[in-house]
Amino acid sequence: MIIEKEPLPFSEWLWSGANIFSSDFWHGKVAVWGPQRWLLVFATLAIVVFLLGWLVSILRHGPVRGTSLTFRVLQSTIVDLLCMSPRRVWALMWLAIRDALRRRVIVVFAVFIVILMFGALFLDQDNEHPVRLYISVVITTTSFLILMLVVFLSSTSLPAELKDKTLHTVVTKPVRPSEIVLGRILGFVAVGTVLVAMMGAISYLFVVRQLNHTHTVEQAKLEPIGTNAAVEVEDTKGEGEKDREAQKGGNAPEAAGVALIGKSGETNHHTHRVFIAPDGRGRLDWNKDHWHRATQHESEGKITYKVGPAEGLLQARVPVYGKLHFTDREGNKKERGINVGDEWSYRSYIRGGTPASAIWSFENIRPDRFPKRIPIEMTLGIFRSYKGIIDQGIPGSLLLRNPKTGLMVEVKVFNAKEFTTDVHTITRTILPTNVSRMTLVQTADGERYVSEDVDVETKNRASFDLFDDLTDDGRLEVWLQCLAPDQYFGAAQADLYLHASDRVFWLNFAKGYFGVWLQMVLVVAIGVTFSTFLSGPIAMVATLSATLGGLIRPLMIAIALGTVYGDGKQADLGGGPLESAVRMVNQQNVVVDLDKGIQTDLIKWVDDRTQNVLWGMAQLIPDLNEFSAADYVSYGFDVPDNLIAQWTITVVGFVFVLFVLGFLFLKTREVAK
Amino acid sequence: MPDDVSQAVPTGAAVAQAAPAAGHDTIIETRNLTKVYRDFWGRQKVRALKALDLEVRRGEIFGLLGPNGSGKTTTIKLLLGLLFPTSGQALIFGRDATDVSKNERIGYLPEESYLYKFLSAEQTLDFYGRLFKMPRRLRRQRTAELIEQVGLTRAKRRQLREFSKGMTRRIGLAQALINDPELILLDEPTTGLDPLGTRDMKQMILDLREQGKTIVMCSHRLDDVQDVCDRIAILYEGELKELGRVDALLKVRDVTDIQARKLSDKAQDEIRQVIQRDGAELVSMGNPTTTLERLFLDIIEESQAHPGRRVRASQDT
Repeated sequence: MIIEKEPLPFSEWLWSGANIFSSDFWHGKVAVWGPQRWLLVFATLAIVVFLLGWLVSILRHGPVRGTSLTFRVLQSTIVDLLCMSPRRVWALMWLAIRDALRRRVIVVFAVFIVILMFGALFLDQDNEHPVRLYISVVITTTSFLILMLVVFLSSTSLPAELKDKTLHTVVTKPVRPSEIVLGRILGFVAVGTVLVAMMGAISYLFVVRQLNHTHTVEQAKLEPIGTNAAVEVEDTKGEGEKDREAQKGGNAPEAAGVALIGKSGETNHHTHRVFIAPDGRGRLDWNKDHWHRATQHESEGKITYKVGPAEGLLQARVPVYGKLHFTDREGNKKERGINVGDEWSYRSYIRGGTPASAIWSFENIRPDRFPKRIPIEMTLGIFRSYKGIIDQGIPGSLLLRNPKTGLMVEVKVFNAKEFTTDVHTITRTILPTNVSRMTLVQTADGERYVSEDVDVETKNRASFDLFDDLTDDGRLEVWLQCLAPDQYFGAAQADLYLHASDRVFWLNFAKGYFGVWLQMVLVVAIGVTFSTFLSGPIAMVATLSATLGGLIRPLMIAIALGTVYGDGKQADLGGGPLESAVRMVNQQNVVVDLDKGIQTDLIKWVDDRTQNVLWGMAQLIPDLNEFSAADYVSYGFDVPDNLIAQWTITVVGFVFVLFVLGFLFLKTREVAK
Repeated sequence: MPDDVSQAVPTGAAVAQAAPAAGHDTIIETRNLTKVYRDFWGRQKVRALKALDLEVRRGEIFGLLGPNGSGKTTTIKLLLGLLFPTSGQALIFGRDATDVSKNERIGYLPEESYLYKFLSAEQTLDFYGRLFKMPRRLRRQRTAELIEQVGLTRAKRRQLREFSKGMTRRIGLAQALINDPELILLDEPTTGLDPLGTRDMKQMILDLREQGKTIVMCSHRLDDVQDVCDRIAILYEGELKELGRVDALLKVRDVTDIQARKLSDKAQDEIRQVIQRDGAELVSMGNPTTTLERLFLDIIEESQAHPGRRVRASQDT
């Protein structure tokens, strides 16, 4: 899975420590996350709204009465916020729910069911990653339908009541504007919650039922392959039995009889390679992100094979990520590897046949966390400077290094294929094939790894203990090297991780839907806020625009900072929006400066202001994509609890601000006309 | 939940005692109340109300009269806080009209009953009862009482979308009374009602006064206002043109009206002579006509007493 923006630790996210008074911050050069950003936005908004209100009041009523009225409104605003009645909010929430039901929101659920019923027919049945396909389809469909529904519901309800004057009867009761706005938000959130829960439950059943399957294995289609074959029944993706047996210093136990190999029957548009061991245990090999167990049964002289359900298909892996850095071919420590010319700079590359390495530094690697073995999973990028033999992959090597002693042991040599997740299991007892010592030394230019010979005793050791010899207080380094000369491995931090444990899939699926729920809550709050001061159609368009803006917020920021082009480091290449438009019309490339003159100055002046406005707007709009856990769930990774907590706090913060804004708009407007 | 439900929601009288004094018995007071409607750009569109000074006293039925566009509904909306005054002040129970807490003691029947059509009569009253933070037991009790009072018992579970205009007005009145208000504002209360409904509505208004409520109603149906109001204000183009007691305002001081039953022709001649001797002018003498409303109500009452009786053509037809 690609993680371009690594989640921050909760404590770091909670308080980024950026100085909001520095000019760097105001020019967007310092990233600010979480509550600090929220506080800043809220405080700025509060001050701006207050000053604007004051100004308008002075213009309308004169300085004395205007000021008096402003402070009276401020006082009653605080009272209205603090003295809300839960009973009235509940009543208004109930009304919003009834209103939503009257508008037949259940139709959306019916549409969703129809999409699931017939949509499956149009999905790519031959897709190599059916789990990713199915999960991303159901989550995206749910998200789209729910967001469209709540855009409509939340933005049109209050204007409709203002238009047919039903709100007159409500506001002439002792109801505070804050209660009306909160009741609306909670009511529509309740309706959205029920729909998301229903869609989530149906989606889960849909995914499980569509993907769960088994295969037939017929004896007639199996061929003997010898008597000494061992089958890695536990070995799903290279991990397991064989490794462990090998590490113990022995070969696989020989079994009496003949091993069988063949092909399974086709189900769900795929088949598997079948191995049946002489002892009757077998497996259907890894294909389309899963495998099956098979067992041989004999009754009345007839041999049949029973194939178990798909395994490894629906999972929630808990990965442990390390910090990535590189060394170049001379062993110099680098932040990044080589750029092979890819504009997308997510991965950087190491050259094959050289000591250049990608190094992941892990912490807290202890026996209580990984009692028997450490599964290392990795998905590498591959850049071939010559074609080679495509089917064979590119050979690489995995090494473990103790950061303190520098002892480095080669643990795996493998063939890597692009877009394939390789799993390598490192058992606690390691039988080394190559032992060295890699010492980090200070040089004039920085730091450099220097290879040293190990003493004879160490070199001749039969085995090493993973924790005793290769970790230092839980710290462990995993080195990746490419063995094929002039070929390249591309690596990003999230490309290699330790598979710590697995969590329950349905819970992870629910977390995915929680992300959709958070998006829904935000859009409801945006819609209700707009509906307090805009008419129905305008409020709907505004809510839709804010939702779309939330979905493309990173692009807005990139345009505002002028970092859209390239890797984001060449700021203002091609200019801002107006300059880009001029270049497009004049068919000018982005690297040549515009002709100097008033026209260019004017274009740049307009762009500068536009970008500032865009930057300001982007600070106000929540990034809706931030709350999408679809990738985590579809790639089979547990959605980190830390991330869920960050998202929840962010949404609560935004909803609070929107609620206060909506309340102020409703309070200061005339309900009647 | 309190056992004694009367303790949970204060009655209008109880609230009145607890309320800050707003003059002795003054419930509503407007001072120089002015409302100017403006367009989007802030330009003046219309001056709907011009410096209105008004007082409404406890326990009276006060009528706001005037043709369409005279500022009646604007005044009501300003009193309710639905509109903000351009200048001047509106005080209700001594509090600013924009103060939400005043609504605890107010009932409002809008010109058309702006109610949620997807709710039933019972749900409607229950919902508005919740807005007054009434406990469930009291809500149920008040709902049942009011539904019976306005004669909607048989339709209490029907959605309001199925209600006739008259039924909608009645449930509208019921919601205005859910909190047993001290002050009731009625905007065109008899609009859309048939004569029977109009009579019932007027009777209910009079009954409410008997219960000590203060009522402000605006209407352009002069007969309704005349029938029920104690005092009236006449507005024209946003200005107060007349204010006072109905009986005093309507009294024609230089005309004497005598009505007698079974007066003979001879007696009538003698009366004419007396008037002539006194040097006064006889304006008219003859048999009076009843009002159409009275005639209609008599016929309906007769029909209800004797179902199936057909109409008899009179000599006049």
